[in-house]
Amino acid sequence: MRESLVLIIKVAFRNLWLYRVKTLVIAGLLCMGSFIGIVGLSLLRDVERSMQDSIISSVAGHLQVYSSKAKDDLALFGGAFMGRAEIGTMPDMVPFRELIKKHPNVADFIPMGSDMAMLGRGNELDDVLTALRTALKKGETDIIEQRKQDLTFLLQQLDRELTEREKLSSDKELMVRYRTDLKTVMEPEYLASLKILDEEKLLFLDTRIAPISGEKQALYLMYLGTDIDLFEKNFSKFKMVEGEALAPGQRGILLSYKVRETQLKAVVARLFDRLKKRIDRVETTIKGDADNEATAKDLPKQYQQILASLDRKESEELSAYLKSIGIETAEKELVAGLKEQLQKFLIVDDGNFKVRYAQFYERIAPKMKLYEISPGETIVLRSYTKSGYIKSVPLKVYGVYTFEGLEDSDLAGVMNITDLVTFRELYGEMNEESKKELEAMRAKSSTVVTTAAAAEDALFGESAAPTLENREIEGQAKSNETIQIKPVISDVFPISEIQNGLALNAAIRLKDGSKIDQTRAELNKMFKEAGLEAKLVDWQEATGIVGQFANIVRIVLMFALGVIFVVALVIINNSIIVGTLNRTKEIGTMRAIGAPKSFVLGIFLAETGITSLIGSIQGAGLATLFLLALNYKGIPAPNDVMTFLFSGPRLYPTLQWNLVILSPLVISLVATIASIYAARHAAHVKPAEAMQEKE
Amino acid sequence: MTHAVSIEHVSKIYPLGNTEVQALLDIHLNFDVGEFTTVAGPSGCGKSTLLNLIGCMDTPSKGEVYIEGKPISKLGDQELTRLRLDKLGFIFQSFNLIPVLNVFQNIEFPLLIQGGFTSKERSDRVMELMDEVGLRAQAKQKSNELSGGQRQRVAIARALVTRPSIVLADEPTANLDSSTGERIIDLMKAVNKSHKTTFIFSTHDPLVMKHATRVIRLRDGKVLES
Repeated sequence: MRESLVLIIKVAFRNLWLYRVKTLVIAGLLCMGSFIGIVGLSLLRDVERSMQDSIISSVAGHLQVYSSKAKDDLALFGGAFMGRAEIGTMPDMVPFRELIKKHPNVADFIPMGSDMAMLGRGNELDDVLTALRTALKKGETDIIEQRKQDLTFLLQQLDRELTEREKLSSDKELMVRYRTDLKTVMEPEYLASLKILDEEKLLFLDTRIAPISGEKQALYLMYLGTDIDLFEKNFSKFKMVEGEALAPGQRGILLSYKVRETQLKAVVARLFDRLKKRIDRVETTIKGDADNEATAKDLPKQYQQILASLDRKESEELSAYLKSIGIETAEKELVAGLKEQLQKFLIVDDGNFKVRYAQFYERIAPKMKLYEISPGETIVLRSYTKSGYIKSVPLKVYGVYTFEGLEDSDLAGVMNITDLVTFRELYGEMNEESKKELEAMRAKSSTVVTTAAAAEDALFGESAAPTLENREIEGQAKSNETIQIKPVISDVFPISEIQNGLALNAAIRLKDGSKIDQTRAELNKMFKEAGLEAKLVDWQEATGIVGQFANIVRIVLMFALGVIFVVALVIINNSIIVGTLNRTKEIGTMRAIGAPKSFVLGIFLAETGITSLIGSIQGAGLATLFLLALNYKGIPAPNDVMTFLFSGPRLYPTLQWNLVILSPLVISLVATIASIYAARHAAHVKPAEAMQEKE
Repeated sequence: MTHAVSIEHVSKIYPLGNTEVQALLDIHLNFDVGEFTTVAGPSGCGKSTLLNLIGCMDTPSKGEVYIEGKPISKLGDQELTRLRLDKLGFIFQSFNLIPVLNVFQNIEFPLLIQGGFTSKERSDRVMELMDEVGLRAQAKQKSNELSGGQRQRVAIARALVTRPSIVLADEPTANLDSSTGERIIDLMKAVNKSHKTTFIFSTHDPLVMKHATRVIRLRDGKVLES
């Protein structure tokens, strides 16, 4: 038996050498399969782990609980279609929290709710007027002139805009008023005589002219209302970048670093950032890369933004600085000269970009208003509440936060964080104060409160009193989009308010994260026993399509591996069958002189087994080297989604020895088993074939 | 006394499309132990079929073949294979050495399959036979480095290594020049004498036939002369 085995292996080796081209092809394929398999599965597991880390320690926790009446699935980072998912509510979080926290593996329960709101942004006229006011205050004549030119330009634009609106608007009276006002300020004398801080004129421009112009392009902000104290404690990746976190019981908002960088930063800086990121991260050059070339081309057009935020002194300094770095101008006049210098400065190429970037952030950016919103300022968020009307809430920005390592990720950085009380306000949930106010309003307008079910009776039943008056007021409010800003919204709230009442969903952080499924099953049982209607999902489900990424990649990878494997197996089987034809006489001879079928079968299986082992071990070796190299160098995340999946700007893959050792064995085993059919075919060669002579 | 090989009223019919080919027709022959017999006849006369049946590589359509008194028609593939391994030795027209093995390994091959020998026992037997066929010096050479005569010597040694009682040779000299062929026949005859091995070989070479102690002539599947 042992001798036969040794003989089989010996003969198999000799044959492999004899048919080495064939051996090489098969081994090569299996080498590739093993390499792709090991590298792919290793990377996948690393991505899965880092993604899990990204998701669990940024916003999802291990499990998420929400209403079982939800129409849509919870998608913390947005579903397939960005929009408002209807996930129902937990009108009172207390029973949920109390039940969930009874489970021994639950570390914490963090109530949440997220939605989208529009940011009130003012318009360009406001910005220019502010700059003009500053210049007037300082009495810098040439800067004042520059601002007036900016203003005149905007007024001319407004004039064209108004002409269009006049054709369309039904409110002729309003149009006439707008036209009269605009005519007044567009008289050459009006601005020409504005040489000192003339409050009367400025107020007129502020209150009568600026509102004619529409707002800047609407900016929608996603916001997540939560108990910030709990949030900070439970999500380790949460990190303040600027300002301070909200104190318990404090109303306010924390802006997302990513949102601020990509949507609220001055365009000129954004363009610089974008180029820098692509050059550094994706390792592209400006020249030859269409995206970079377009960005670089846009840059010189942004001089205006810099110019508009400088006063005379700053302009002089900057002009001198630009001169000192070799950017000259023949222009005598300061502003015109600086404009030319800035335009030159903003022309970047592969040679000067690094220096210009540094110079911009060192010398120019500090003089500008770099961000539209900064900590300490108050913004107004407007949302469509559940009941359909528009709600505006002024909120003080306390700080800017990010999730550590995910600074660049759009997905993780999409949420601005506010307190749960503000969230409820924007969501349309009434707080005690609002309820009282509503009661008062109802009393005043003698509205009858009724439920939807009883509405018909209330309206048309015998006791129904006409309430048309009230509806009219509502309708009017809508058509004019009048925004109700509450005169006073208390800046603080009792802590109990966020510990009770409404939340849309809640993150559950576990003590032992490896027992997600078990804990989930046990919690579901507890819900059932307590008669609580709740839906529990794990972090992967809670993040919608993002969480499914790893699964999608896995399917693609498995498919690719499957194709390689099938091709390899077909080639192996084919080569055995062809080999059988070539070796009929040899096989026949062996059979004739007494070799059993199993011996022939053994030779062919050994040949496949040895070839696969050689190929796949080589593949495993290459994969090991490759992964070690990647581990040393790291894989740069080419885009923001990848940053999220990598849980940082670079992924450092780890080598998994079990995969390296097991893959070749599994591959060889499968290949060998798969070749049984063809090998049996070979074993069926008749011993009499030995006698056949080729003519 | 049992015959080495007994063939009792054997017919072999091969299907060929819709018709049948009568390869052998009611053959009745006995081969005694130690005979040096040649089966002669033109191509297609049934020589090969007869040798295949004696060589347990095929079973008869009618009648029975006995190897040392044992009927083969009821045996399965495994038993036939074992019978070939233990009782029979084969020498082929084109030598049929296993290309990837050297001379020593080719001769050793059947012993390895048979199993149950120590490597010393195997080596002794192989050396002995290499001496007998005069190839000791070529032990390490690959079969494709040998001449035709040398290859056939290796084949003879391989056929004898399991000490079979019957050696079958299918036109052993057909691929050799006449003087080499003659030397091969001499060698076979010497072995026949010294080992008392029964030799049955097919040929259509009259020069070879004259060395045989018995000539069986076949034509159209029938025995003309025995």
